[in-house]
Amino acid sequence: MLFKLLDKDEFKNLVNILLQSNEVIAPKQVGVNVTGKTLHQYLPVTSFDEIDLTYETTQYSAKTYFLPYKENLSTYRFDEKDWKQEIRYRQEPRVMLGLHACDIHALLKLDKVLARDNFPSPYYIARRKNAFIIGIDHEPCEGGFCRSLGTDTVNNGFDLFLTDLGERYFVSINTDLGYRVLLQVKTKDVTEEDTRKYLLTRKSISDAFQTHVNVQNLPNLLDLEFESKVWNKWGQKCLSCGSCSMVCPTCYCYGVTERVSMDFKSGAKVKQLYSCNLVDFATVAGGHNFRPNRETRLKYRYYHQHRGFVESYDEPKCVGCNRCGRVCLAEINPPDIIRDIQMEER
Amino acid sequence: MRYLSIEPTKPKVAVFDFTSCEGCELQLANKEETLVDFLKAVEIVNFREVSSAKSDDYEIAFIEGAVSRSDEIERLKKIREKARVLVALGCCACYGGVNKLKNAFDLSTANREIYGNYPKDSMPVRAIKDVVPVDMEIPGCPVNKEEIERIIQHLLLDINYNFPVYPVCVECKQKFNVCMFEKGQLCLGPIARAGCSAPCPTGGLGCYGCRGPAADPNYDEFFEIARRRGFAEQEVNERLSFFGGFNGIAMGVQK
Amino acid sequence: MKIPLYHYDIMKEREIQQPVDFNRHRRLKHTDKTFKAEISSITTLTDMEKLFHLRILDEAERERFTFLPGQFVMLEVPGYGEVPISISGSPSNKGLIELCIRKAGTVTGVLHKAKRGALVGIRGPFGTHFPLEKMKGYDILLIAGGLGLAPLRAPIFAVTENRPDYRKVDIMYGTKDPSQLLFDYQYEQWRRIDGVNLHIIVEKADDKWTGDVGLITKLFDKIEIVPHETYAIVCGPPVMFKFVCAYLSKIGVPMDRMFVSLERRMHCGMGKCCRCNIGSTYTCIDGPVFDYWTVMNLKEAI
Repeated sequence: MLFKLLDKDEFKNLVNILLQSNEVIAPKQVGVNVTGKTLHQYLPVTSFDEIDLTYETTQYSAKTYFLPYKENLSTYRFDEKDWKQEIRYRQEPRVMLGLHACDIHALLKLDKVLARDNFPSPYYIARRKNAFIIGIDHEPCEGGFCRSLGTDTVNNGFDLFLTDLGERYFVSINTDLGYRVLLQVKTKDVTEEDTRKYLLTRKSISDAFQTHVNVQNLPNLLDLEFESKVWNKWGQKCLSCGSCSMVCPTCYCYGVTERVSMDFKSGAKVKQLYSCNLVDFATVAGGHNFRPNRETRLKYRYYHQHRGFVESYDEPKCVGCNRCGRVCLAEINPPDIIRDIQMEER
Repeated sequence: MRYLSIEPTKPKVAVFDFTSCEGCELQLANKEETLVDFLKAVEIVNFREVSSAKSDDYEIAFIEGAVSRSDEIERLKKIREKARVLVALGCCACYGGVNKLKNAFDLSTANREIYGNYPKDSMPVRAIKDVVPVDMEIPGCPVNKEEIERIIQHLLLDINYNFPVYPVCVECKQKFNVCMFEKGQLCLGPIARAGCSAPCPTGGLGCYGCRGPAADPNYDEFFEIARRRGFAEQEVNERLSFFGGFNGIAMGVQK
Repeated sequence: MKIPLYHYDIMKEREIQQPVDFNRHRRLKHTDKTFKAEISSITTLTDMEKLFHLRILDEAERERFTFLPGQFVMLEVPGYGEVPISISGSPSNKGLIELCIRKAGTVTGVLHKAKRGALVGIRGPFGTHFPLEKMKGYDILLIAGGLGLAPLRAPIFAVTENRPDYRKVDIMYGTKDPSQLLFDYQYEQWRRIDGVNLHIIVEKADDKWTGDVGLITKLFDKIEIVPHETYAIVCGPPVMFKFVCAYLSKIGVPMDRMFVSLERRMHCGMGKCCRCNIGSTYTCIDGPVFDYWTVMNLKEAI
């Protein structure tokens, strides 16, 4: 990895240059909540001033720019006795500016499922490879436990990564494209003093984490505690509303439906992101539901996050962003559930 | 579908209104971009709002509105006898709708309050399915034209019309909305049935549950959330009874 | 100054330009491209089930489509939807895909209305298969309950077409009543093959029925099983294969020599949509064929 220093004024130039000919998605303040806390989302921006890189977290993850909530897998033209199938993938580049380490880790996990495993998804890969990603370091967000999952720092999966050193950014350059884009503005070489400052900043961020979750031995524990009362306790609270999966940066499950136009001349096979907490997730043709209970569905969401995914890819699916915990009106959250499961063992 | 060698029929459709605002049937004439195709697919033989035709020969009857007068019962039964398929159109037809708020009052007092010295024939409001069997329901206030199209496609060619049974939250999240509770507002999203694409929360108004309850709603937890967030029982219960879909469900009442 | 970022066009990737072959799991491909296939023949089996013969139109695609007994395809009726269906035919019958389909939902319902010559889409084959190679030299039990004969018919073909590779073959089949018996026109053919025994039982007889009556496990009274020299394939509803496998296990047939085919909801067939997840196992990738020991270890499988 190469490193450079970028003055904040130059960074602004860089963003303006990118804005001139590209779609740019960045954190934007969208309001304040009932307690006065500012709320942010990753949204398309058209000027530098709309961007707020000091954001704590976003309510939604960046995944929807890679896995849209709704997407046509194919379209059909019906023509008397025949039909014709058409498939299109994204070709337009997009700048993803200001992603935190957890969101980049989430993409790396999605890569494992959707780009590297059996049946790589051309829909995902086309979006992923058309994304120019600029990450940024940040103070730990409230309730975030990414440090426990090793996702608080990131070494790949981005083009550029910024660490705020006050007047300037310390820039990690991970790709050739990142390097070439950076050539468009003035940068400085990194001195020993800068490196020391960078490491100090990193350390102070590391030390600031408040929430810790013990995920050790969790795959085994989840098996042992499959019938645990813990699931009844939390399952009874679950609204089965799917909000957790919608905001989760790594939930990728979906459902497919088909639509036909009113003139019956065209149709589409539509993919919609789903949630394993929704009541009909495992209902088969004929009506049998393999998971009719809330607690079973909730349990399986955790099972996939912390056991199933580990079995397949040697790491949990969760990145510790706690967006699911924050969005849940019933206050169901991973740190508390995992703590309960760990307590059962004593 | 032609490619399957299955030819669509062109069914005769009638639209009837009962106690309602007639907003749902107006939706039938909405969505200009596909209106021509829609009207090509069916033959409308009786629809007071758009046509002077008044045929009694129809296969599909769309019923808007609830039943609130004795003469409506007779009329509805006659329609049921003639129609092969009866579709309840909109919240009033499916659940009673806002009309049903009347049921909480003494009828003669309510009658006097509204009509003064000229009282009208009136009875407690009932949903269509409480009077005659209903084959299909399109909930919502108003209904979504796209769902009417899908029902028609289903009746013509067996095309799928699986309306969602999960809560509004799913669709609200897919609109990137900030949760209404986060903004300090009451919202029935977590227990109300989706399919509307959450226009109310998207526009800044908490959900009123016009499509009725989601499948297997978690009322206990929802009331707990409302309590924790400082909403009074009365406010929650008023919201629940607004469209009549949450019959018999109330906060602070033991089930 | 402008920085137009690189436009990545996935269609320029060498792999994706290759013809779609679902047997090449790792290769980048059009995952949702369907092979257009014609319904070339329809055989009515019962009131609820029909056997469809499908023929992929494109000759090269037809040539590439190979499957093993136990695998399934995603069958799409454009505009209606897509459903997983296990292949009922013989792997050696190149170019012909046989699917036995019960009328159960929108897609299967409209298929039952479709006429010969209609064009549908096929993706696949997907999933694991019965280990017919490993079973060579052993006694074979092929056991089906109800619609289970549809997936079992593929290994029945494979075993009878390669008769010398296997020792004694017992086919056991049970349904609720005689009207539900599938492929009744083939029984005589199977019975006449040397060393193949067909045993049929119904739970409830009708006036004409002269055969056995009872649950499928009752048929074990008639069959001599040498436990350590037997492989079994069991297809049917979970209650059925649970009892059958429990019996076989009790008499000493190793659980990893019994194979079952599981059924779940699937929206992709490729381990992506998660709908067929059983715990951490994907029915579409790790299954649908599992040995019974694995099934015992899958939470919520039975």
